[in-house]
Amino acid sequence: MKKFWILIKFEWLNFRADKGLLILTILTLFAGLYGIYYGTTEINRQQENIAALDVLTEQNIEELKAKYPNGTDAGDIGYYHTTFAVNHPDSWASLSLGQRDVNPYYIKLRLLNLQSQLYDTENINPLKVLSGNFDLAFVLVYLFPLLIIGLCFNILSVEKEQGTLPLLLSQPIGLPLIVGAKLTFRMMLVLGMALLLSVVAMVWGQVSPDMRVAFWLSVVVLYCLFWFGVAFVVAALQKNSAFNAITMLGVWLLLTIIIPALLNVYIAVKQPMPQALELTIKQREVVHGGWDKPKRETMDKFFALYPQWTDTTEIQGRFAWRWYYAFHHLGDVAVADLALDYQEGLQARHQLVEQLNVWSVPVNVQTIFNAMAGSDLPSYVSFLQSATQYHDSLREFYYPFLFNQVNFTNADYVNEPRHSFTSSPDFATVHAGLYKLALSVLLVFAVGMLLFRRIKASVK
Amino acid sequence: MEYILEAKQLRKEYQDKVALKGLDLQISAGEIFCLLGQNGAGKSTTINLFLGFIQPSSGAAYINGYEVASNVTQVKEYLAYIPENVMLYPNLTGMENLALFSSLAGFDYSKEELMHYLVQAGLPADAVSRRVGGYSKGMRQKVGIAIAVAKHAKVLLLDEPTSGLDPKASNEFSELLLNLSQQGTAIFMATHDIFRSKEVGTRIGIMREGELVDVQPAANLNANELENLYLNYMHVAR
Repeated sequence: MKKFWILIKFEWLNFRADKGLLILTILTLFAGLYGIYYGTTEINRQQENIAALDVLTEQNIEELKAKYPNGTDAGDIGYYHTTFAVNHPDSWASLSLGQRDVNPYYIKLRLLNLQSQLYDTENINPLKVLSGNFDLAFVLVYLFPLLIIGLCFNILSVEKEQGTLPLLLSQPIGLPLIVGAKLTFRMMLVLGMALLLSVVAMVWGQVSPDMRVAFWLSVVVLYCLFWFGVAFVVAALQKNSAFNAITMLGVWLLLTIIIPALLNVYIAVKQPMPQALELTIKQREVVHGGWDKPKRETMDKFFALYPQWTDTTEIQGRFAWRWYYAFHHLGDVAVADLALDYQEGLQARHQLVEQLNVWSVPVNVQTIFNAMAGSDLPSYVSFLQSATQYHDSLREFYYPFLFNQVNFTNADYVNEPRHSFTSSPDFATVHAGLYKLALSVLLVFAVGMLLFRRIKASVK
Repeated sequence: MEYILEAKQLRKEYQDKVALKGLDLQISAGEIFCLLGQNGAGKSTTINLFLGFIQPSSGAAYINGYEVASNVTQVKEYLAYIPENVMLYPNLTGMENLALFSSLAGFDYSKEELMHYLVQAGLPADAVSRRVGGYSKGMRQKVGIAIAVAKHAKVLLLDEPTSGLDPKASNEFSELLLNLSQQGTAIFMATHDIFRSKEVGTRIGIMREGELVDVQPAANLNANELENLYLNYMHVAR
């Protein structure tokens, strides 16, 4: 054991003197710190925007109170009053932004038809989406493997190429001890950095100190071990440094880019789903068609759904808010199946990703991180469902005013429902992902051990 | 009699070539055995078999009574090795390199002791704290010698150890070998240098095509006779 630590000590001296490796390590460390800064800043920005929505809502109410000091038809309020469905970030979201930059984290809602509002979101800068999030999860999943490759590609081959292996092996130590010490030193360095960055991110992001601390750190350790396992397998082949570097970069390219791209194509083919645009167009056609249909026909359809309002007065004249909101709602009803298909399609695609990510450890780890941070697709779908329920509650709030033809007064605003949704972690996905990750680590080290024993050591 | 270094019918075959044909050899404590032979004669194969770097096809090599093949790590406690071209960690200083190999051998020397071994091996005092990456081949060779001496091994395996040394350093190295021999170290030196062999050797062996064809006490021959004997064997080989 003493010799093991002697080797570790001299690995440190060698590392300290190697400017290339030092620069690579420091760059990765700074990338991690920037990732933490980026994630925290993005979530702070989203929280500030969400906080501003409350102010906007209050301003809107004050404007309406000034405009209608004696109250008005609830239809006016439903049309001009804006409220928001808000997806508050989980405290862990800054560590793994996931889809929070692609999917909206708030939806502006009025009493009008829901579906067109659900998908009527702000434009996204496509270049920003292309480059992706530079959060800590990105650094850990995509950049840390490159650091491990840089540190480990020549772990054994360098001893042969610089000719030090014969002298080293003439000491009373074996090749397994040498490789073990070299790997251990690099593991200590990389894991130390990865865990330090994770702890800094947790403190900086003020995450809730629950069991996810242990899950996150376990995933980080296992993921780094997986890449060390890859390095071990490649070292066990006992090829030259150039071969090792190309092989390891090839594995990185395969697992982080090629397989995810292929999975994406496969999932799109295997799980086709209606587009939100198609849904919106159909819904618009129904809603706009409502203007031209006989009012009686529209109202009969509506009353069939809401018989409690059947006894309310007849629609008279060219326009009535009750009729207007009725045909807006019928627009939603007309695409209800399509909307359900869309959301179920999103869920099904995500489930397919969870099944297939066994083929790409980085994709699996990214899935775990997103599930832990509540920034994955299922969380977004839950938010859409929550927004739908909120819209239902708005209708239930306004319908008595509309159909009983009761004036909406300034005193009624306080009773209007408000929405709040906070993304929550998906521990089932975390558990399943951890299990797969642990198996990947065991598998890769088992292959490495097998190769290491089968291929006879050569000092040349 | 207990031999420190011994080979019994030691044979090494590669796919299409027999590198060593049943070597029998015994070397006692304090003896310097010089092995002469052309390139490819089997000298380095013999050393690699004693080091456990390669496995014998048949027969066995023994160091201090332990069979090398089945006690690879243990036998290395008793031996030191200087290759033809000593390669060290270029980012470490000469002293750090010596400290590494000495500590792996079980010796934790102070800086003063490390300095002593390096200077004794002929390395300039001002070079010991410089990175080895800037050393000449001769300087690296001297660090290699210091590593071997500092190990206080019972057996010293040398593969063309004076390659790259200037005549003065070679002469100092010869004196060092004689000194170690007097302290009881068994030395096995593979070399092309007939005159150095005659100068330091107790016995001189001649290897040809994997076979030890002759062994002579160094005292029985003068340098010219040794050269003629060697050339005769090599002539037969051609």
